[in-house]
Amino acid sequence: MQTVTIKPKKEIKISVEAENISPDKFAGKSEKDIQSLEAYLGNHKTTLGELFSIKVEGRGAAADTKIVMEGNFSRVKRIGEGMSAGLIMIKGNVDMHLGTKMSGGKITLSGNADSWAGREMKGGELIIEGSAGYYLGAGYRGETCGMRGGKITVMGSALDFLGEHMCGGEIIVKGNAGILAGISNNGGKIVIEGNTSRPGSEMAKGTIIINGAVAEMMPVFKLEGTEAVDGVTYKKYTGDVIVGGKGVLYVK
Amino acid sequence: MELLIKNGAVFDPKNGIAGDKTDISIKDGKIVDKVSTKASVIDAGGRLVMPGGVDAHSHIAGAKVNVGRIMRPEDTRSGIKPRTKLTRPCTGYTVPNVYAMGYRYAQMGYTTVFEAAQAIMKARHTHEELEEIPIIDKGALTLFGSNWPTMDFVREKDMDKLAAYVAWGLLASRGFGVKVVNPGGGEMWGYGKNVSGLDDVVPNFDVTPRDIIISLMKVNEMLGLPHSLHLHCNNLGKPGNYRTTLATLELAKQVKPSKDRQVMHVTHIAFNAMGGTNWMDFESKADEIANFLNNSENITTDMGQVIFGSATSMTADGPWQYTLSKLVHGKWSNGDVELEDASGVVPVTYYRQAISHAAMWASGLELALLTKDPYKVLLTTDHPNGGPFVNYSEVIALLMSSKKRQEEIKTLPPVFNERTKLPGINRELDFNEIAIMTRAGSSKVLGLLETKGHLGAGADGDVAIYDIKPDQIDPSVEHVKIKSAFSSAAYTIKGGEVVVKDGQITATPMGRTFWVDASVPGEHTEVMMKDIRNKFKNYYSIGLANYMVQDAYLTHPKVVKAGVVPVEVS
Amino acid sequence: MTVITDALCPFCGCMCDDITVAVENNKITEVKHACKIGAAKIMGHHRIKAPMMRTDKKGDFKEVSYDEAIEAAAKILADSKRPLMYGWASAFCEVHKKGIFLAEEVGAIIDNTATVCHGPSTLAVHEKGLPSATLGQVKNRADVVVFWGSNPVHAHPRHMGRYSVFAKGFFNEKGRKGRKVIVVDVRKTETAGMADEYIQVEQGSDYLIISALRAILAGQAAVVPDSVGGVTKEQLVKLVDTLKAAKFGAIFFGMGLTQSMSRYKNIDNAISLTTELNSFTKFVITPMRGHYNVTGFGQVCAWETGYATAVDFARGAPYYNPGETAANDVLTRKETDAAMIIAGDAGAHFPADSVRHLARIPVVQIDPYWNPTTEVANVVIPVAICGVEVEGTAYRMDGVSLRYRKLVEPEHPTDIEILEKITERVRKIRGD
Repeated sequence: MQTVTIKPKKEIKISVEAENISPDKFAGKSEKDIQSLEAYLGNHKTTLGELFSIKVEGRGAAADTKIVMEGNFSRVKRIGEGMSAGLIMIKGNVDMHLGTKMSGGKITLSGNADSWAGREMKGGELIIEGSAGYYLGAGYRGETCGMRGGKITVMGSALDFLGEHMCGGEIIVKGNAGILAGISNNGGKIVIEGNTSRPGSEMAKGTIIINGAVAEMMPVFKLEGTEAVDGVTYKKYTGDVIVGGKGVLYVK
Repeated sequence: MELLIKNGAVFDPKNGIAGDKTDISIKDGKIVDKVSTKASVIDAGGRLVMPGGVDAHSHIAGAKVNVGRIMRPEDTRSGIKPRTKLTRPCTGYTVPNVYAMGYRYAQMGYTTVFEAAQAIMKARHTHEELEEIPIIDKGALTLFGSNWPTMDFVREKDMDKLAAYVAWGLLASRGFGVKVVNPGGGEMWGYGKNVSGLDDVVPNFDVTPRDIIISLMKVNEMLGLPHSLHLHCNNLGKPGNYRTTLATLELAKQVKPSKDRQVMHVTHIAFNAMGGTNWMDFESKADEIANFLNNSENITTDMGQVIFGSATSMTADGPWQYTLSKLVHGKWSNGDVELEDASGVVPVTYYRQAISHAAMWASGLELALLTKDPYKVLLTTDHPNGGPFVNYSEVIALLMSSKKRQEEIKTLPPVFNERTKLPGINRELDFNEIAIMTRAGSSKVLGLLETKGHLGAGADGDVAIYDIKPDQIDPSVEHVKIKSAFSSAAYTIKGGEVVVKDGQITATPMGRTFWVDASVPGEHTEVMMKDIRNKFKNYYSIGLANYMVQDAYLTHPKVVKAGVVPVEVS
Repeated sequence: MTVITDALCPFCGCMCDDITVAVENNKITEVKHACKIGAAKIMGHHRIKAPMMRTDKKGDFKEVSYDEAIEAAAKILADSKRPLMYGWASAFCEVHKKGIFLAEEVGAIIDNTATVCHGPSTLAVHEKGLPSATLGQVKNRADVVVFWGSNPVHAHPRHMGRYSVFAKGFFNEKGRKGRKVIVVDVRKTETAGMADEYIQVEQGSDYLIISALRAILAGQAAVVPDSVGGVTKEQLVKLVDTLKAAKFGAIFFGMGLTQSMSRYKNIDNAISLTTELNSFTKFVITPMRGHYNVTGFGQVCAWETGYATAVDFARGAPYYNPGETAANDVLTRKETDAAMIIAGDAGAHFPADSVRHLARIPVVQIDPYWNPTTEVANVVIPVAICGVEVEGTAYRMDGVSLRYRKLVEPEHPTDIEILEKITERVRKIRGD
């Protein structure tokens, strides 16, 4: 088992790109090796060691690597990018692209994540105890697929375009979601416990379940009657009819 | 500046050199017989030496290429390379930025590339991009097949006016040759329609694709242009279209070439050699096209080889692009140009498991392997329609190794064997034939064989050295090495300067832009311009005074003279 | 007196190229054929006379030499960890190339004014492409023209006359009488007043309405409720019938669509509507671009970097993600530690948060004119006016590039000269 503890050395104002903070990158490395991994502060090339105090205990493969992050990381982007195994536990807030393209392992975040958390995620689990920004589990500009697999849970709320272009996997938002949740859904499952508006536009496949209120329904769904899911009765819609969609939208 | 390349195994088909140990001397950018003892020396050490590669059909610059970039940030983010002290940043795979375009061609040993289509009205844009592409020499073919003046003069059967218009259009666009895409179809697409064959009448203009092709072929030869008519056939992309293609090839018999080259170049055959009646019974009919080529003169083609994976389809064939976007359920950009032509851009992916894609992949190879004379089939991927040009090494390896082809065929659906003749073809091309398809042949097709595509005295000092010793390799077996060597040149020399060493860029000079200045009798131009002025007064949305590409956009021009009165090529 | 004909107007994305200008003693004395705004633009106003600097933004500017100003600008950029280079819409493509090179050199974010107008359109193009055509295609063929959230009478005064409404063409000899003009907007604009049909929509409901139109077009009218966004289903069905009956239809959209609720997804949806109409007839869609060369920056940036705008060079290779790398993204997050504003007015058009941050950091302005950005600048470098005093290239809203003429001789250096000198100084400072 390898445990890496990371704390900010000082307040970070300009975003840091820290895609090297990942169990895959840390596994088996010494404190010094990890400290010398590259990071960017704006256009300034620096190292993780310059920006963060880093403590390492033990050695292990990625799957046996635990990264514990404590402090304010609200200007640190791309944490856990592409990770395939292991655990990242963050006590604080983080910047954009948390767990982007991750394929395995687990990230837990006690605070808020900025936009594009879980972007193009393929597997693993992302738990956000605070709120998420825009494009949770979405794709990159121009891509046809966002999230393809894995699971994202947000205890708070999420902003617009959550699960955009989702092709698989599952997103659960305990709070509210912004407009156009699940837009162009192509096979993912989205559960929104709170309120949202205009969900499921251009949805071709997949499932969206909304337990709160829908402020505005898209005029592109066919009401199929009511159906019970896990003991709760919903109005069941299918669509988006424009794209001949076979998506299912459950609204209370 | 002098350079001597010693001990190369040289393949220079035009000069009958096939693997001989020959020294190549370059002085002041040109190949010479001898250089002084002061010359810098590259010892090729028995490695493969060829003239710099010449690509006669690729989409490297202009409006539709940039539309492709703008609509595809997901493509741009692949192939990212940061800037260095010498090079600008590179981006993209199917739609690279201008810098990647130049560097990557040079890294493959290519030194000359022609953009295959520009509308006159958007030619300024083409030249803005060409001027930013480093290292390689380039030029652009100009679209004439659906232009209103073309169709008017064809209907009037006034070949003098048509010749004057073509000459003027080449000047206006600083174009190198006459490109025709789905003749008549561009105009029909103005109202969302298309022509379905050579004999459909284009409404309001009362001409047929057949009339347009024959007339433009005639004036191309009247003008003695270096290149022939360059044709993208009607019905491209439609199952069963090989019949249209064969009927189109027949038309070449009606015109005699003015020079030692073809009268018609039919491009990207992989998209025009389709049998069957739909996408289910789709099959390759490239063998029939090859058979036709083997029994006729004055026609050349290029492969338009499909590469499995991501591609971006871009062409002036507007109606086809719309159909394609519906087939692939993908994003679609359209770019009609008033009074001139259409265009469209659609991202596509070619899948091994899709039999239609697999059969298209086969048909480019079939064409190249079944056509006896390699001068008749150039190696292209119709970049980025069949796939990006960086895959030329893959195509070379496929052509040189039957073993590699059989390995690939194993990954394709079983029904593949019924839809193409490829599994039964054992021919393996040699280095000389590859040099023809990528150098001598493409230069001859373009009408530039005097200075391009060979290593005799007087040729441009453009040379590629590849890390293979031809006498010590069996390409059939060692196809991995072949692919690797052709993907990254040991040396690329452009105009006598080493621009690539061991696959890395070492210098970034600016190449030249070739365009054709064709003279016609002044009175023909005068009569023609009356019609043109009327079109600007009433129909164009810009003024004639602001239409023509200004000199400012050609900072490295290379003018090739042509004309009704034959003029020497300068 | 010299008379220059076929001159181009450096005001809006119409890029009218039929302007006649009279020049006497290197002064423009008369402008013919241009609209009022265009003519005023060509005649000029409020020039900055000489380079100026100040350290304290509350203090007055002091006139300095060009060399001093260039040195100061270079130092600001070279010292910055998160520089922003913004503007570009009122300058030529030749200037953009130099700007992108400098952005690479200093590891800046480079962004243009599209970010506050048609930037969302580009995001939509990533999703759906853009089925469009040159404006002459509309002039010659269009029999149905839709202005959605755009008001050409006000913002593009000669658009209707030259291209879209009154213009006569090959297949439309009657001009206005040969066309059905439809305006969709939240309020009855001047353009709506001239239309054959005006459809009033509720604020922010464009997305819903477009989806409803697409559903009806797809033969799924049954799912569409009786009223969507303040428009009755009957009206929507009728509109779809009109669009389908067109022989050649054109949609021109403006900031009413790009900057209202759902933003770029409105455009995304409108593009899909256009694409789907092509199953029935011919339809194209074109953004009504504002500044004359805002389109040009997107073109140059795309061929140079692969991305159309909002490119981050922090790590030496282009990175693009509006929402993260656009000017206002980094300004509102207070990340930017220095800015260069050139040929665009951030001070006038940015949200208050962004302008407040600009007021806190070193700002270099390169512009012919005194404008609200000057108020937050430390270093101000006046330049010659592109399109009046400098010749060069710009792209019309439909992507047609044209070359502007020089009308009078400049008294100031050009943007290109200034950018080249700054680049040279930056290289010296950084020891390259």
